[in-house]
Amino acid sequence: MTNFGRILMVEDDPKDVELSLTALEEYNLANEVVVTRDGEEALDYLYCRGKFSDRPDGNPAVLLLDLKLPKVNGLEVLQQIKSDAKLMMIPVVVLTSSHEEKDMVASYKLGVNAYVVKPVDFHEFVNAVRELGVFWAIINEPPPGSLKKH
Amino acid sequence: MQWKPQLPRPLSTIQSYGLAALSVSVALGGALLLERFEFRDVEVPLFLFAVAVSAWYGGTGAAVLALVLSCIAFDYFFVQPLYSFYVSGSDLPYFIVFATFALLVTWFSAVRRRVERDLRQARDELKIEVAERTQQASLLNLTHDTIFVRDMTNVITYWNRGAQELYGWTPEQAIGKRSPELLHTVSPAPIEQIREELLRSGRWDGELERSKADGSQVVVASRWSLRRDEQGQPTAILETNNDITERKRREQEARVLNEELAKRTAELEAINRELEAFAYTISHDLRAPLRHIAGFTELLQKNSASLLNEKSQRYVTMILESANRMGNLIDDLLAFSRIGRAETHKTPVSLDQLVQEALSEVRQETDGRIIVWKVGELPAWYGDRSMLRLALVNLISNAVKFTRTRALAEIEIGCREQDQNQVVVFIRDNGVGFDMKYINKLFGVFQRLHGPEVFEGTGIGLATVQRIVHRHGGRAWAEGLVDKGATFYFSLSKSQGV
Repeated sequence: MTNFGRILMVEDDPKDVELSLTALEEYNLANEVVVTRDGEEALDYLYCRGKFSDRPDGNPAVLLLDLKLPKVNGLEVLQQIKSDAKLMMIPVVVLTSSHEEKDMVASYKLGVNAYVVKPVDFHEFVNAVRELGVFWAIINEPPPGSLKKH
Repeated sequence: MQWKPQLPRPLSTIQSYGLAALSVSVALGGALLLERFEFRDVEVPLFLFAVAVSAWYGGTGAAVLALVLSCIAFDYFFVQPLYSFYVSGSDLPYFIVFATFALLVTWFSAVRRRVERDLRQARDELKIEVAERTQQASLLNLTHDTIFVRDMTNVITYWNRGAQELYGWTPEQAIGKRSPELLHTVSPAPIEQIREELLRSGRWDGELERSKADGSQVVVASRWSLRRDEQGQPTAILETNNDITERKRREQEARVLNEELAKRTAELEAINRELEAFAYTISHDLRAPLRHIAGFTELLQKNSASLLNEKSQRYVTMILESANRMGNLIDDLLAFSRIGRAETHKTPVSLDQLVQEALSEVRQETDGRIIVWKVGELPAWYGDRSMLRLALVNLISNAVKFTRTRALAEIEIGCREQDQNQVVVFIRDNGVGFDMKYINKLFGVFQRLHGPEVFEGTGIGLATVQRIVHRHGGRAWAEGLVDKGATFYFSLSKSQGV
């Protein structure tokens, strides 16, 4: 796992991580992904502290955020990002199993850039992750200060 | 006490002056007659008597007239020279003494008349008051309300029939007793405080607990009014009571019931919250492993297809099918639970139009089949549009599904009966039908009467229909025969429902 990533994935389920990386492999995006396993680790990465204290400066081009996370949950991470002037421009995509309207509403209220429900079907899931990766890491022009492509 | 006053009625003016003239005339006549029989000097007492009679019965005016007439008659008939009105100087004191004496008699008489008038007036007033009091007392006895009066030392002085009926003591038993001891009064505030308020504002009301003659307890709504004498000194307390024992008991019962209701409501709310948490768990936690099963199975299929024999390939396919089916079950269950939780947005809806919408949705499944549709006229109704539409879609697609084995399927949609408040909609088909002994299972969640290899489905459709119909204050039921088709009914009420 590299410390030099343009896609920050916050996901506690290793199986989902593996499926996601499989999906991104096709476009050679897998090695651009930094995976953090809970909200605290994600914030450590963003603030270059803890085990990420020596990572290169710069924000990821996109953050794929699960909502149900150990320690600091997804909504708390989102709130922290959107209330910090240095981080608020990072596009955040919530990628979750939750269909619940209250999660959706809470995310949008906090200023999420997209809300994607993980499809149950494997193909749909792979497609969704792949399209997200392609759109945010390749097509979309990231805000200034984001990590450049290799 | 019977008091018949014997005071004479006063005479009219003319009568009293006539009386004066008459009495003087009689006195004159008497004096002249007596003079004829040689009785001398009786005329003065006679005239005085006439004046007195006039004063007594005719009043001051009559007395003065009698006096004047007496003087004239006396002068004319009895003073020298006789038969003339001449008055000599020597006779003058005589006249003055007579007049003074007569005036004295008149004055006494006038005083007496005034006293008599005052007395009569007082008597009349007294009579009126006695009548009023008597009437009031009997009126107070007529009322059902409890009324009694006690003096400032709480000794009962009046006790009406209502008081007797409520407390059980007769007036004879109650009057003269002190009310706190007789009634064992328990007041909501210290009695000194109540008394203070009574003296300050003239009234008090509140609830009191008391004992009846038979020893039972009674709660009364009590109103006290203070009576003051002309000097403003408090003299008595008038108290009216209403028996509110029964009301208090009901209030207490209602309070207990309300508390219980609140407890139950809280329990239900807790259960509801639990269910919501459960639904959330299903949506979030069950999906992920399912995706993993499907995902890794597919990866297995893709990466190791050449390593798997035909049997293993089939196993892999079955794993995938099962994962998909479980995904559908979860989706349906969530949709079902959402119908229970969602608020209904009731608006006027055209059932005709809803049926058309449902038909156009279902027709996608009917390609290559021959179905004869008979759609009757349906009324405009009141309900949640999207829910009712879902119910119709479920029922119609059921009908389509279970007529699949028929070469010629017939599906009829119509309205069986309707009044102001209720409509019954039915969907009839000539499909495979069902055995009526399973009717109880028909509307249950995940209950199915056919194997998935015969008719696909999760078994949530009719449960959803029933829940929607319940939320519209109606019910759902069905009739069917094996291989002879089925008819599904649902009623909708106009006003009720959650």
